[in-house]
Amino acid sequence: MALLEVKNLVKKFDDKDILKGISLELHEGQSKVVMGGSGCGKSTLLRCLNLLIQPTSGEIIFKGENITRPGVDVRKLRQDIGFVFQHFALYRHLTVQDNITLGLRKLKKMPAKAAVEKALYELERVDMVEHRNKYPAQLSGGQKQRVAIVRALAMDPAVIFLDEPTSALDPQMTREVVTVINKLYLDNITMLCVTHDAFLAKYISDSIVFMDEGAVAAEDIAERLFYDHPDPRVRQFFLSVIDHR
Amino acid sequence: MALAKGAGYTILVTIASIGAGLAIGLLMAVLSRLQWKPVALFLAVYLYVFRSVPVLVLLFIVFFGLPGIGIRIPPFTSMVLSLGLVSGAYLAEIFRGAMSAVDQDEILAAEAMGMNRIQSFLYIILPQMFRMSIPGMINEFTSVLKYTPFAYTVGIPEIMKEAMSLAAVTLRGVEIYLAVGIIYFVIYKLFVMFFMVLEKKFRIPGLAAG
Repeated sequence: MALLEVKNLVKKFDDKDILKGISLELHEGQSKVVMGGSGCGKSTLLRCLNLLIQPTSGEIIFKGENITRPGVDVRKLRQDIGFVFQHFALYRHLTVQDNITLGLRKLKKMPAKAAVEKALYELERVDMVEHRNKYPAQLSGGQKQRVAIVRALAMDPAVIFLDEPTSALDPQMTREVVTVINKLYLDNITMLCVTHDAFLAKYISDSIVFMDEGAVAAEDIAERLFYDHPDPRVRQFFLSVIDHR
Repeated sequence: MALAKGAGYTILVTIASIGAGLAIGLLMAVLSRLQWKPVALFLAVYLYVFRSVPVLVLLFIVFFGLPGIGIRIPPFTSMVLSLGLVSGAYLAEIFRGAMSAVDQDEILAAEAMGMNRIQSFLYIILPQMFRMSIPGMINEFTSVLKYTPFAYTVGIPEIMKEAMSLAAVTLRGVEIYLAVGIIYFVIYKLFVMFFMVLEKKFRIPGLAAG
């Protein structure tokens, strides 16, 4: 059984169809990347999946439960879905360590000492322990995104959603972040990542979903989708994004 | 000696009024987040009225006017209430401005993490709001201090009242009022120093104040 199953998901904003019946599956330990042109609905899809945006219709089955039904404990659900934002969204008034322990202490009710130990363990994984007492403004973009990833990871979620995790970074910082996400991929962390970045997609995905105008146009492994797909729209898109790198 | 006792009352009135203003301002700022029309209307009227009516007029309404309809409020409470209501209106605006400067992505991240609205307010918005409000608060608190001489009009023995009594007895107005000015300056300086220390203690790199 899939960890996450999306059936015919539709989202309309003011009668405009943003998502036109998306269906996809994500299994435990699997990493999928969603790609597509700007405005194709990728980020909306991700935000619908943890109910930050309420879908118009369709079903989202997470751990066997239909989470689009009324009465679902949304906050409990979100604690089980890590979310990494394009612009990091670190809490500016908290140190790196406190950014990570806040959710553990206040939501998971973990004792402060255990939360700090957990934070340090996770920071060690991304080589950021020595920065634990710094504030977000004292970090580079790549370091901020690594902390944001750790913050999501520390909550031990069933899946991590990454929304354009490298879009706000320069090439060197992108490489730093890709290395970290690739490490998670090799550790079989379940991930669903939205990106424009073909380089990132190639190194962190079991398969890539290509979206066009709010619908899934293709799904395949990176090599076939990038270089050898029968659909001209898909070929055209990947030709352009790969050329840009 | 009389002036020192008066200075004590001045400080007491200032601190009590700041406390009242902070409580009212914070309550109004929290209410403004509810985005509920009747509350928004109430807030708009409150802010409009208490920022436009002079403190002295409000104090006279509370202390001399309300007894006419059977409500008697002691002098000290009248002063703190009047000054607190006016100060609260200004502080509410300072807090609202600071709250709107909190990055929406951070609030969204808190929501995505599983926090409810109260949690994200307590752990994300409030700490940032207070830090960003400190310069505005210092300004407002010094205004409160400078409004406290009105307390003499309702019989509170603060510096001005004591100074006037002394000047009437000794006929040495210049020296006495000069001393009052110096005492106000010292109190002002102490307040500012206290808040500067506070601001320094809570300063966070990248979190711009003001």
